[in-house]
Amino acid sequence: MDGVAPQFLGSLLAVAALVALTYIMGFRQAGKLESEAEARELFRLAPGGFEPADLALDHDGAAAIARDEQGRVAVLVPHGNQFVVRPVKGGAAITARGGSLLIADMPRLRLHLGDNARHWVGTRARGWATTDSNANSG
Amino acid sequence: MPFDPVAYAIPVFVAMILGELIWSRRTGAGHAYEWRDTGTSLAIGLGSTIAGALTGGLTVALLVATHDISPFAIGWVWWAWPLCFVLDDLAYYVFHRSAHRVRWFWASHVNHHSSQHYNLSTALRQSWTGFFALSFIFRLPLALAGFEPGMILVCAGLNLIYQFWIHTEVVKRLPRWFEAVMNTPSHHRVHHAVNARYLDRNYAGTFIVWDRMFGTFAAEDGEDRIRYGIVNQLGTFNLAYAVFHEWLGMARDVWHAPWRHKLSYLWRVPGWSHDGSRETSDMIRQRWQRSRSSQDSQ
Repeated sequence: MDGVAPQFLGSLLAVAALVALTYIMGFRQAGKLESEAEARELFRLAPGGFEPADLALDHDGAAAIARDEQGRVAVLVPHGNQFVVRPVKGGAAITARGGSLLIADMPRLRLHLGDNARHWVGTRARGWATTDSNANSG
Repeated sequence: MPFDPVAYAIPVFVAMILGELIWSRRTGAGHAYEWRDTGTSLAIGLGSTIAGALTGGLTVALLVATHDISPFAIGWVWWAWPLCFVLDDLAYYVFHRSAHRVRWFWASHVNHHSSQHYNLSTALRQSWTGFFALSFIFRLPLALAGFEPGMILVCAGLNLIYQFWIHTEVVKRLPRWFEAVMNTPSHHRVHHAVNARYLDRNYAGTFIVWDRMFGTFAAEDGEDRIRYGIVNQLGTFNLAYAVFHEWLGMARDVWHAPWRHKLSYLWRVPGWSHDGSRETSDMIRQRWQRSRSSQDSQ
């Protein structure tokens, strides 16, 4: 096993150095949705399909919320500098506070929609079919 | 242990990642990397080398045992090397296609696809559970055909090294003859895409000709922006979750499924469900095609 430990330690140092360098070089910015068209495109990738009929973009492009014709609601939440679609549970309370939209089962999410926030208040999201297990490949 | 070319390539991998980082910074491709994503990718890569060190001896023993019972012995003749490389690449194609079409193998392979980024660090997201998933069985036929186990492992290592550099958005298209024969960044971007049109395409390791031969090829067409990752994006940089989430999901599905469906959650295509509540990649593609057809007819 001679040489295995130094090789591992060398690799560990290289990993730490590369991650630190990635951070230092500025690859740590939050994701930003540039347009409703981009948000719509990302919503369409939701497992099981999701075609937004009504959509609102956070003022800073930091998130988005949409509803489809079946009444299902989904949000785009930031993940690093990318976004992931998350379904809003059926019946989850959607409230507004000072121009921000809050969703009961997503306490860390705050969508800054301004006056448009009221448009979404009281929305009763319909439930989604099970999508909890990883579907398929990329 | 036989000569392992991958160990010698690691400094080159690090240098190339460094080069891609600098290029991304200079060209304003600020979304090419994300520091936590890079950390997860590299940590998975480092863990995979440990997993490989722990199980590598068993893989060698299995190859040697298979070679010993083979009626053929090709030996170390020079012409066996290119032949072994090509056949190993075919074996890789079969493995890789199975890794996307059989959930048991997908559970092991999924962490390679779990990043929403496509850069050289993504290439290092290699499986920790490949041996447990029995992925080695795909290379046993080469030993049975009489190829030396050491030769098979060197060819497998060279194949893995080849696949490193194609995980990039820096290289757009290469000369037509090269794109026709070899796996390239363009072909492999398609493979990592979650866009419906691209799902489960381009399984090739080194030679794209296998996909062309077996009907699984799709060209990068530029019609829409490629989005990377998996259909159910993880949404976390948690290392353990990234590595084991599909095993956990599969175990949960087997546990909850009716008895007659339990095994189906292991061997059927990812996304299959006994009650039809989920989608396979074929179903996603069909839904996309229906949507496209209805848009065209309007």
